[in-house]
Amino acid sequence: MSAIVSVRDLRKRYGDIDAVAGVSFDVDEGEIFALLGPNGAGKTTTIEILEGLRDLDSGSAVVAGVDVTHDKVGVKHRIGVQLQSSAFPENFLTKEIVDLFALFYGRRVDALALLREVGLEDKAKQRSEKLSGGQRQRLSIAVAMVNEPKVLFLDEPTTGLDPQARRNLWELIRAIRGRGTTVFLTTHYLDEAEALCDRVAIMDAGRIIALDSPRALIGKLIERGFTKPVIQQQANLEDVFLDLTGHALRED
Amino acid sequence: MGQIVRYTLMLLRSYTRDRTALFFGFFFPLIFMLLFGILNLGAIGGVNLAIVDEANNPDSARLIQTLSGIDTLKVKTEARDDAMTSLQKSDLDLVLIIPSSFRLAPVPAGATPPTMTLYTNRARPEQGVIGSAIITQVVDQTSFAVTQTSPIVHLEQQEVSGRSARYVDFLTPGILGMTIMQLGISSVAFAFVVDRQRGVIRRIMATPISRRSFIAAHVLYRLIVAVIQVLILLAVAVAVFKVSVVGNILLLLVVAVLGAVLFLCLGFAVTGVVATENAAAPVTQLVTLPQMFLSGVFFSRDAAPAFLRPIADYLPLTFLNDALRDVATAGAGITDIVQPLLGIIAWIVVAFVLAFRFFRLD
Repeated sequence: MSAIVSVRDLRKRYGDIDAVAGVSFDVDEGEIFALLGPNGAGKTTTIEILEGLRDLDSGSAVVAGVDVTHDKVGVKHRIGVQLQSSAFPENFLTKEIVDLFALFYGRRVDALALLREVGLEDKAKQRSEKLSGGQRQRLSIAVAMVNEPKVLFLDEPTTGLDPQARRNLWELIRAIRGRGTTVFLTTHYLDEAEALCDRVAIMDAGRIIALDSPRALIGKLIERGFTKPVIQQQANLEDVFLDLTGHALRED
Repeated sequence: MGQIVRYTLMLLRSYTRDRTALFFGFFFPLIFMLLFGILNLGAIGGVNLAIVDEANNPDSARLIQTLSGIDTLKVKTEARDDAMTSLQKSDLDLVLIIPSSFRLAPVPAGATPPTMTLYTNRARPEQGVIGSAIITQVVDQTSFAVTQTSPIVHLEQQEVSGRSARYVDFLTPGILGMTIMQLGISSVAFAFVVDRQRGVIRRIMATPISRRSFIAAHVLYRLIVAVIQVLILLAVAVAVFKVSVVGNILLLLVVAVLGAVLFLCLGFAVTGVVATENAAAPVTQLVTLPQMFLSGVFFSRDAAPAFLRPIADYLPLTFLNDALRDVATAGAGITDIVQPLLGIIAWIVVAFVLAFRFFRLD
């Protein structure tokens, strides 16, 4: 497999804080890759440099064959993004939001087809600000797909969603990867990373301190003799919640 | 270019769903027009005129009779001292002094025609403008009827600028100017500050659209809204309030668009210095409120206190209102409004520099 995102010794300083302090990794084409880490670890700075939204201080980053230092617009054309704490303009219908963003890429798309893929076809004629949190996240994924991106960047896509909406979004992300799009995401939910990702990188204080598949990382930890008191449980509270409330998506 | 045009059209479509913008863009100015129009503020049901007849001859009686026959004027004759006292107490709007030398006869060669003095009330500028316009016309006609050539009396008057007959005629161009100012400053400041705070602009800038195209579409969209606002407000003013627009509509629109450019630049500059939605309200008020009251929207600028006049005369909205009013109510052509136009253009340059210096998208 070839690398579609290639980062070498990436550095970014804010004042006297090293937000990103020399990071190197590759993301393979077609995988779901997650950047994990506590707040302030440098995840968002890293992802925003890769998205062409921030300048890097030193090092290099190549995304879908384009060097982000030299051609930010080229990068933007080849990727799809979902930003943390962003919003869509008001007074547009859901369908119009898709058309609007296609226009920003100089494209025309079948907005209804894209909305159908994320399960929002019946909301096409509703104002986007009337959508629920989960629906809004799905709309933002539909919008991120308007330019048929090579890599989809999702910054904390499931934050604030209920368990049903989270699982629904996982399915959507798997379906997008199934069509050959590489997915690069950040998350605070480790169960999500474990369930969804092929490989994860754990970042702390601006550096990557581990990078492997979730299974391999867990294996290495146990090899080092890690144990924790095991209470043999066949299910957890989330299983109880989903069993009681079902997997069906809620309209909130 | 196609991208800018299509984006502009999509913004216009979203505008039709934006109740707040529609309220402030159309209903708010219409409510103003309705309220002030119905109240007919300035009570142009009558201009209170006292005539001091120092000539006391058949000719002066004839002039008084003619003036009394005009509906708008409420005429009475008084002694000079009484009349001037009433004027100072604002019981009167105008005092006309007919001098003892007054005659309705050709002036002998070499002699100066008798001078009538018209005192206007600073506190009642609209009545002053309207009353003096009427008196000038009557005097001119009477003069002309007698001599066919030269004036036989001279009327010394102050600041007759329009031939506005009614308050709504005066008010309508002011409302247009105010609406354009609000569109430029308040709506731009709020839209951009809110969109910046919500992360809307960040999201759009994560796409390949250039900043230039993005801003161009927003400017174009608001210029089109300004033209539509002017046309609709004018149509209502003409249809409902029978406002007489005597000037060239195209010239009026050109002036309106120039005004919109000016206030858009100011709006973009304000957007740059305001960080949050909460700060947007006081800052935009600080810029717009003084202009609403000093630039002759509802009342003539003459009503402003003397020490504010030098400021009022150079405010951006003053130039816009002067140009709009001259065209709409006095039928001014482009050569008649060179001065306010130059004022607008000078302000555009200043505002553009400010916008260039302060505006930021992130």
